[in-house]
Amino acid sequence: MPIVSVREIRKSYGQIKAVDGVSFDVDEREIFALLGPNGAGKTTTVEILEGLRSADSGTAMVAGVDVRKDPSGVKERIGVQLQQSAFPENFLAREIVELFALFYRKKVDSMAILKSVGLEDKAKQKQDKLSGGQRQRLSIAVALVNEPRVLFLDEPTTGLDPQARRNLWELVRAIRARGTTVFLTTHYLDEAEALCDRVAIMDAGRIVALDSPAALIEALLKRGFRKPVVQQQANLDDVFLDVTGHALRED
Amino acid sequence: MGQVLGYTVMLLRAYARDRTAVFFGFLFPLLFMVLFGVLNFGGSVSVDLGIVDEAKNDQSASLIATLSKIETFKIDNGERDAELAKLKAGDRDLVLVIPNDFRMAPARAGSSVPALTLYRSSARPEQGAVGSAILNSLIDQMSFAVTQTAPVVSIKSEEVTGRNLKYVDFLTPGILGMTIMQLGISSVAFAFVAERTRGVIRRVMATPIPRRNYMAAHVLQRLILAVVQVLILLAVAVLAFKVTIVGGLGALLMVALLGAVVFLCLGFAVTGLLTTENQAAVATQIVTLPQMFLSGVFFSRDAVPAFLKPVADYLPLTFLNDALRAIATTGATLGDVSAQIIGLLVWAVVSFILAYRLFRLD
Repeated sequence: MPIVSVREIRKSYGQIKAVDGVSFDVDEREIFALLGPNGAGKTTTVEILEGLRSADSGTAMVAGVDVRKDPSGVKERIGVQLQQSAFPENFLAREIVELFALFYRKKVDSMAILKSVGLEDKAKQKQDKLSGGQRQRLSIAVALVNEPRVLFLDEPTTGLDPQARRNLWELVRAIRARGTTVFLTTHYLDEAEALCDRVAIMDAGRIVALDSPAALIEALLKRGFRKPVVQQQANLDDVFLDVTGHALRED
Repeated sequence: MGQVLGYTVMLLRAYARDRTAVFFGFLFPLLFMVLFGVLNFGGSVSVDLGIVDEAKNDQSASLIATLSKIETFKIDNGERDAELAKLKAGDRDLVLVIPNDFRMAPARAGSSVPALTLYRSSARPEQGAVGSAILNSLIDQMSFAVTQTAPVVSIKSEEVTGRNLKYVDFLTPGILGMTIMQLGISSVAFAFVAERTRGVIRRVMATPIPRRNYMAAHVLQRLILAVVQVLILLAVAVLAFKVTIVGGLGALLMVALLGAVVFLCLGFAVTGLLTTENQAAVATQIVTLPQMFLSGVFFSRDAVPAFLKPVADYLPLTFLNDALRAIATTGATLGDVSAQIIGLLVWAVVSFILAYRLFRLD
């Protein structure tokens, strides 16, 4: 029984078909990524699943709830981290966690939640004074206050330095290990390859490929694809991390 | 309900940390009070009152004696033509004419009531307003005293002499009105435009909190702030500037709250038309600035040019200021200011409908 099940959803803005008949399933405890160039319809698809937009047609079930019929029921069961969103100013990190718990009418141990994302020593800092990576982790902490069954992360590592990105990957793996399904979008293909069990690639509102990263690569090779040069044993990313280390920076 | 109250408390706590908001909400109005109260008009306003006594009887003499006990008045006696000439020349702020049929007795049915005539100088509107406010309340109390069986005129008039209306007394209710207006319009426009453009509201709407709870907490937070602002401003006015608040605090707070509701609704309506913070800066000025000058915040509305009067008389801040001032300086009750309250209620309904139609969270 998949935890996210999407069938033929469509959404148009005037003449533009942002989502043009998308279907896929996500299994429980999977880390699943939606990839695609800008304007492919990733964010629209994710926002439909989050109950923030309604599809023109098609059905989407998330954690057993029909998104179109009960958007607030979906919001109860999922955690979200939105692209281009922010928290209210003049709130401390800890208060942000408590504020969102209140929005879900939940009582939470805000310190424990901050600890789970490694922000326990930033509890009394104003959220707008946190670094980019810290803010992304706070944003994930907030997405966890309602103990969601599915966590949606929309481009969680955009704008982060390599150390903060890898730190966030570890966090995502830890969250999956606790039994939460993770659904993310990203522009970084190395990220998808390193992190995800399966990926769906979207283009012009449609899904053009869907499988595990390894299977997709294998299928490409079987079609006779060869890289012009032999793959190096290391790349610039490896060099960067070798000379600067893995330790997380404060910005 | 618990969610709304909990959110309201958190909003208030965050507000207290916001230095800019606290400055504009609390220190800014106080600064105005200091500026106008100390630098410009320190001490009492002195009103040059010319009296033309055409009755020349015991009772007119007693009225003049009572008036001369009021420190605010600098009294001169003279003939009608001479005094009116001095009024025109600017040597008098007010000229009071006591008619020759003047008497301080209860009017009998069918007999005409003697009318006192008050001439005001349009050149010095504040003095005119202050002086006529004192005269009106004095005459109200005297006629009340006269209709009693016991002659209690002297006791009543002593109370009046203690109440010598200073400029800060006049100014304080205006500052209260201005502050309530600023809170309603600016705190809504800037906060919501900023939170909308930064994606804060989008993030909140991804949680199951009902929109009405979200809105209720934001409205409640600002109503609480309005009450706290009024109380602090009043406390400073009374303690630091020795302002006399004649009317009831309850009535003052009721009117202030009604005003806050009007301006919050207007704020939400205006915010519905805005998308950027630059627009918010312009729009809040367009809404608030004319009212600062036309609605009698710092000066009497008599200074408003005649062609603007039809507009000025119906502005929401005019109703609010007039009601607050009547309560604070003349001890009016809610019943006495029912006209202003009705005006505010009409504005509340109109601006609520506008807000409901125009305001969007996303």
